[in-house]
Amino acid sequence: MKRVLTTCEFCGCGCNFYLGVEDGKVVAIYPSVSHPISQGRLCIKGWQGHEYIHSPERLTTPLIKKGNRFREASWNEAYVMIDDRLNETKTRYGSDSIAVLSSAKCTNEENYLMQKFARACLGTNNVDHCARLCHASTVVGLATTFGSGAMTNSITEIAGAEVIFIIGSNTTEQHPLIGDQVLRAIEKGAKVIVADPRETQLAKLCSLYMMHKPGSDVALLNGMMNAIIAEGLEDKEFIAERTEGFESLKETVADYTPEKSSAITGVPEEKIIEAARIYARSKKSIIIYSMGITQHTTGVDNVMTTANLAMLTGNVGKEFTGVDPLRGQNNVQGACDVGALPNVFSGYQAVTDEKLRNKFEKAWKVNLPPQPGLTLVEMLNSALEGSLRAMYIMGENPMVSDPDINHVEKSLNALDFLVVQDIFLTETATLADVVLPGVSFAEKDGTFTSTERRIQRVRKAIEPLGDSKPDWKIITELSSRLGYRMDYNSPAGIMDEIAKLTPIYGGVSYSRLENFGLQWPCPSLDHPGTPYLHKGSFTRGLGKFSPVGYKPPAELPSHDYPFILTTGRVGFHYHTGTMTRKDWALEREYPRGYVEVNSQDAKQLGIRNGQTAKVISRRGEISLSLKSVDTIAKGVVFIPFHFAEAAANKLTAANLDPVAKIPEYKVCAVRLEKG
Amino acid sequence: MDKNIYTPDLAIIREVCDEAAGIKTFVLEFKEPEIRKSFDYRPGQFVELTVFGVGEAPISITSSPVNKGYLEITVAAVGKVTRALHLKKEEDIVGIRGPYGNGFPFDEVKGKNILFVGGGIGLAPLRSLINQMFAQRGDFAKIDILYGVRESRFLCFVDDIEGWGKVQNSEVLLTADAPDASWRGNVGVVGSLLPKIDIDIKNTVAFICGPPIMIHFVLLDLLKMGFEEEQIITTMERRMECGVGKCGHCNIGKSYVCLDGPVFSYHQLRELGEDI
Amino acid sequence: MKILSKSNLVPFLEGLGPEFEVNAPLYEGQDVLFGDLDSSKLATDFIGKPRLSPKEYFFPQRERLFTFKNNGGVEIEAHLNETKRVIWGIRPCDLYGLKFLDMVYLSDYVDPYYQARRSNTILLGLNCNKAEESCFCSSMGTGPFAKEAFDLLFTDLGDVFLVEIGSKAGEKLIEKQANLFTNATSKDEKQAGILEEKSKKTFKTSVDLGKVEAKIAGASSSPVWAEEAAKCILCGGCNWVCPTCYCFNIEDVMSGDKTQRVRYWDSCQLGGFTQMAAMNSRATQAERLRQRIYHKFSYNPDKYGGEIGCTGCGRCIDVCPTGINIAYILRRVANG
Repeated sequence: MKRVLTTCEFCGCGCNFYLGVEDGKVVAIYPSVSHPISQGRLCIKGWQGHEYIHSPERLTTPLIKKGNRFREASWNEAYVMIDDRLNETKTRYGSDSIAVLSSAKCTNEENYLMQKFARACLGTNNVDHCARLCHASTVVGLATTFGSGAMTNSITEIAGAEVIFIIGSNTTEQHPLIGDQVLRAIEKGAKVIVADPRETQLAKLCSLYMMHKPGSDVALLNGMMNAIIAEGLEDKEFIAERTEGFESLKETVADYTPEKSSAITGVPEEKIIEAARIYARSKKSIIIYSMGITQHTTGVDNVMTTANLAMLTGNVGKEFTGVDPLRGQNNVQGACDVGALPNVFSGYQAVTDEKLRNKFEKAWKVNLPPQPGLTLVEMLNSALEGSLRAMYIMGENPMVSDPDINHVEKSLNALDFLVVQDIFLTETATLADVVLPGVSFAEKDGTFTSTERRIQRVRKAIEPLGDSKPDWKIITELSSRLGYRMDYNSPAGIMDEIAKLTPIYGGVSYSRLENFGLQWPCPSLDHPGTPYLHKGSFTRGLGKFSPVGYKPPAELPSHDYPFILTTGRVGFHYHTGTMTRKDWALEREYPRGYVEVNSQDAKQLGIRNGQTAKVISRRGEISLSLKSVDTIAKGVVFIPFHFAEAAANKLTAANLDPVAKIPEYKVCAVRLEKG
Repeated sequence: MDKNIYTPDLAIIREVCDEAAGIKTFVLEFKEPEIRKSFDYRPGQFVELTVFGVGEAPISITSSPVNKGYLEITVAAVGKVTRALHLKKEEDIVGIRGPYGNGFPFDEVKGKNILFVGGGIGLAPLRSLINQMFAQRGDFAKIDILYGVRESRFLCFVDDIEGWGKVQNSEVLLTADAPDASWRGNVGVVGSLLPKIDIDIKNTVAFICGPPIMIHFVLLDLLKMGFEEEQIITTMERRMECGVGKCGHCNIGKSYVCLDGPVFSYHQLRELGEDI
Repeated sequence: MKILSKSNLVPFLEGLGPEFEVNAPLYEGQDVLFGDLDSSKLATDFIGKPRLSPKEYFFPQRERLFTFKNNGGVEIEAHLNETKRVIWGIRPCDLYGLKFLDMVYLSDYVDPYYQARRSNTILLGLNCNKAEESCFCSSMGTGPFAKEAFDLLFTDLGDVFLVEIGSKAGEKLIEKQANLFTNATSKDEKQAGILEEKSKKTFKTSVDLGKVEAKIAGASSSPVWAEEAAKCILCGGCNWVCPTCYCFNIEDVMSGDKTQRVRYWDSCQLGGFTQMAAMNSRATQAERLRQRIYHKFSYNPDKYGGEIGCTGCGRCIDVCPTGINIAYILRRVANG
């Protein structure tokens, strides 16, 4: 049996394991004991989630839409068609009438090529990916406050913290090996505070749990800061030496007395004060957050407020402290790092900055567009409205993952031309004109960057199935076909180019990644990588307090839609379920969608546990099984978004954060009826 | 080498009948003549049925060993395999492994009164035993058959029932929880039939089979009536897969339901060692 | 008993081919995994055990049982693996694990897939001179030195291995390469005895097995099940790494115009393990955690004449991402 060490294709923890290969098939998994994060442990997806690789439903040839059905085609046919149609679109409507969606599941090399393809070949900055839907607020919020939008500290520091404040993260379920760190910290006596509208597993195991209303995070955190200042627990030295804007912060939070904060959040005053004391009193306090903070119309505000809290108490820029946004996808951090975003090249270098743009123009030998492009949801809006005419989507399934699916469908159908590159015929691929078969992580070389900025190797273990091709190869072939020549011998060569142009990846090369990777910033070949950021000074110099007031979510409950719907995930499925729902072990645990309803609400609705409920919003309705629980407040319901046949996103709204353009998945208004 | 315990034998579907709403009976005949001749089983045993391309499911045998050369199974479409089976037609091929399980006691209960209490499709394994007993009617004393369904459209084995009612010293009582207008029998759960029969409890053995909740309540009724734990025989419902005591799914205490059951006396159930 | 000098280990193992396929613990980077013999990676001086036990040579993570062509004809082709194999470097805990699996798979209905692999494999054990932190085989009576269930048993005496013969099959292997072996002296055997005693003193984890066996029947309503299960994230790791876990799931998997019936490892810690159409017979994590412990310490011993279904290897402690610790649980049961 051949064993190939690789990085997990599911979440941002970045665990490593060996794929066991026999007769050209992946048949076994062996965790890596020496890996610093996983240490020989995995979650169920790591252990059992790889059956999809050899699923008979894998796309193995290009497909071309004829009428309502697909027919198999050769690569040449597919490329010719794409070349024709994209050229036509570009000529008639201009470069910006085309948009590209890259993939946080794909490698850094592939994401880099995708944004290069959009910019150098198509001539547009309309390139984005699903970070828009999860941590766009983080990128903006932490860039504003700290100068750098990534997890400030490393995963293994969590086990050494004295206090861990987890807000909006179901850590043990969604980032199991980071949940591992939290539990180890608890074993060592750490205090854990959890703030979440749902009583998660960690909420049941922590020292202090606050069930706050969805969308009330700024009020909660401002309330905590008010209490900290009131009791003189702020770190005056840190504030004086390392930050600016404290007076402004003090003024804003003065308004958020525990009483006011309690009224907005629904959390008892004593708990807010206690949480504040616990967090502030330690010099080893870590904040962990995830979608509960980011997926709001106030996502950026929420993120900045967490950063404010950390700076207020001096709990950033040192070991065992920090603000840790947990990146969801295996490579969403990397996709952002290498520039699959409409406003920056790789390394967060702004497209509008003439000097930086010239650097890329020189390296890529082409003129580059200077205006930032469209973000993901804006792309769909533009498609419907008619200014966007064609899209090329790789490894992304907006038909299940984007808000307001009925609207998504209309938007995609309004395009003149849609190309989808994926490993399965997803709900989105079904709408395409041309489908290109990419490959799984087991069939190509590359790198993924985990949530702690760790760039790790993905190693090819088996040959691409059928006639499918590694995604990086497809992009280079397509680009060359369309007139912008791309020639790389291997993904290692692509990374070398990334390193030359991207200061934070400057010292990265495949030979340096052999010992479980490097954490960026790694600016030069002799730099060992950076476990934690902002040591001594923030990336922007001084940390900027960015105070904000509480703003309510965009769509609140009303008479016709009296419940708040909050959406999220379960640990057994991954996002739109394209991969995990092909696996018997995962599907057997969660074979269908459901809606979590508070038991008292369920009683009032007259719907019993297990019975069908209809959930209706202004945008659509779905029918699914009701799960009666006591872990969610009255008036709030929860639906996991993995199940296309009961798609939570049929109900959600594309209400966006004004700066980050991230949708408010965590709050919209619904009503429930007996199904 | 011994036969591979995991490979099924091929069988042809000879007949498909609509037994009741959502329930079909399949008459199966092994392809291999030797197996057709030699396949023997006891009432209460089950087979692992393969629908090729879909999977395998444990299904109790409803025909009696007196019926030679063929096998009958009665199946509700409730899962992946059974739903696929319902789409099969005559002459289609399925796979059979078995027979598995311990089967009902037979010789041990000769001479006794027998009380059958069946619910819904749970009558299927009991039917195998009933017909076996009726083929040797003289070996048993009074036979009472109480059969209840949720709604009248779920009533199975109407022909058999008619026949049983005509046999001497045997009685059949039917009931439905929520029947339609055409129903002329008792209305209520099957336990409500118990007061309507006259039995000498000391010399009676009761066989119960049906949905878990029905078994639960009938058990309580019988115990209240004075039945001893050893006099009550029932089938234990567990997720079974391999049928041969290896895959672990049906493990309860030191038993495997597929090896030591699925037939247990209530006394044995209590001794299984896990909260059932 | 025989002596094999360390420098002769590789020649001995390589000399077993081509008749036998040889597997041994190998270094992959800093990880130790069982693999196909590669002298450049052979791990002879590692402490403790590879994360996965060698049970997968007999009970693979994913095993094709048979293929049937679904072209209306239905032909069945079974796949038995009869490769002749020697596995070197099996720790005493894993030797006991295989003995236990023999009991499960070769009793009642004999599992032909397990039997084909097992009957064609020769086991060469390797005693442990030092325990890892999670090891508690000494409490279970299965280690650190093995007493049974091996064809040959190696003890590392420093420059040489002491080799104990456990079966005719093992003896034959030595006979075939007799020139590599010399006879052991009583001094060698004495040294092994001293090493065993030293090894026993290196254990950090222990379990009072006698007390556990006495108390377990009455511990089913202990609060420890719910308390510990509250942390479980249902990764199944404890079952995947366990040398005595044997539960599996069978699925039909399409492959072109054929269908394969495939057997996969399954885990009693997963909710779906006991899920039926109408209800789940072990619906809470507390019940499932209790099932794992009881299956090993109560149910299996009842069924298999006293043999405990736990080797004391401690892998389940190491692999758990939430800190559920079997030794801790057993201590709570013992102190009841």
